[in-house]
Amino acid sequence: MRVPIEVTVNGKAHRVEVDTRTVLADMIRDQLRLTGTHVGCGTGSCGACTVMLNGRTVKSCCILAPDVDGQEIMTIEGLADDPRHLHPIQEAFVVNHGLQCGYCTPGMVLSALQLLNENPHPAEAEIRRGIAGNLCRCTGYQFIVKSIEAAAAKMASKK
Amino acid sequence: MISQEYEFFAPKELAEALAILHRFAGKARPLSGGMTLVPMMTLGVAQPEAIVSLNHIAGLDFIVETPEIIRIGAMTRHRTLETNTLIRRYLPLLSEAASHIGDVQVRHRGTIGGSLSHADPAADYPPIMLVIGARMKIANAAGERWVAARDYFKGLMETDLRPGDLLIEIEAPKLAGRFGTGYQRLHRIEGNFPIVNAAAVIEQGFRSARLALGGIGDRALLVEIEKHLRNGFNDAALDAISDAAYAVAKDAPSDLNGDTEYRRAMARVFAKRAVKLAAAAIPAN
Repeated sequence: MRVPIEVTVNGKAHRVEVDTRTVLADMIRDQLRLTGTHVGCGTGSCGACTVMLNGRTVKSCCILAPDVDGQEIMTIEGLADDPRHLHPIQEAFVVNHGLQCGYCTPGMVLSALQLLNENPHPAEAEIRRGIAGNLCRCTGYQFIVKSIEAAAAKMASKK
Repeated sequence: MISQEYEFFAPKELAEALAILHRFAGKARPLSGGMTLVPMMTLGVAQPEAIVSLNHIAGLDFIVETPEIIRIGAMTRHRTLETNTLIRRYLPLLSEAASHIGDVQVRHRGTIGGSLSHADPAADYPPIMLVIGARMKIANAAGERWVAARDYFKGLMETDLRPGDLLIEIEAPKLAGRFGTGYQRLHRIEGNFPIVNAAAVIEQGFRSARLALGGIGDRALLVEIEKHLRNGFNDAALDAISDAAYAVAKDAPSDLNGDTEYRRAMARVFAKRAVKLAAAAIPAN
């Protein structure tokens, strides 16, 4: 069964016809061709598919695409206005080696954004809790936490 | 892509949702947050004929206070319960329990109604529902009814919900002023379902006391503790509560997280911890 939906992604309105069995992550990747959203486990454990739905992080592999009709989504591609000018969180991940293979990174960055939006000066434990829904199999989290600490400092100094 | 075909509905009115659920007579599944249902469908474990999304119905996502009661819409997200000031003030057990569910992303989307309808025997909410004396409002195409929490949970992922029914609201008396509360859960990884959990509510002067355990059977169960506290809060009372928890947990499941005897031992430990916390939290005056 295919249904038409209207969805705003990264500020741009889209009309998409989706198979009702499609999960949001697959719609974003395969139909909108925004491949920054990754799919790891496909069952809500790893957080690689994290996107923002109406301004709050969610796992897009566990949301049906037809269910986001009329909603607003931001993917990792929507974070920086221009690929040459990264968001401070992205920049901090680069500078602090917050990634190795990069598979978990889009989700990590968006979870960091959610955390820093609500809590601009998180303690280390709060950072770890903030990214508890995102698994990384390379870095062991130390550099990711360090990156988010650096991003917090940078974003606070800009205000 | 989910392999099994199904019809998808996203009604804007509750009456329409109830009519569709009635029409499919148990073959349709209501979809709230989908944090369990969607992965189950992806894995092929759940194969409904129709999905009725509740995400587009106005009026199911609310937290309202009356002088004595807090009313919670079934579509209230876990994250809202975790952070809402009314819940934190009047039903702190509930915000505490919500804060342990999954991770931030899951709490943003998952709902209390969805969790209580799924009724996992080790979920965070069920023991809380029992000790706060919650009631569930269930609607169907024919009308509405209220069910007390102690009559709502029937068995392994079984509730009082029948085909065509929808849980639409939860209400509970405000617990502030003269009650102490405590919630404790055993887990190996934060965000996982608890292996055993325990919730306690104790009234000033031990006039009333309730304890409930989860993860120790096919559903969360109340443990009779009031009589043990009649002579005050002391070691003998705690020992009696521990024994009562052990007895209630007699049918605890056995799996890789722990066998029956381990869970029964943990029922003792977590029952005592929750009761101690609740007793310590009773307001002084």
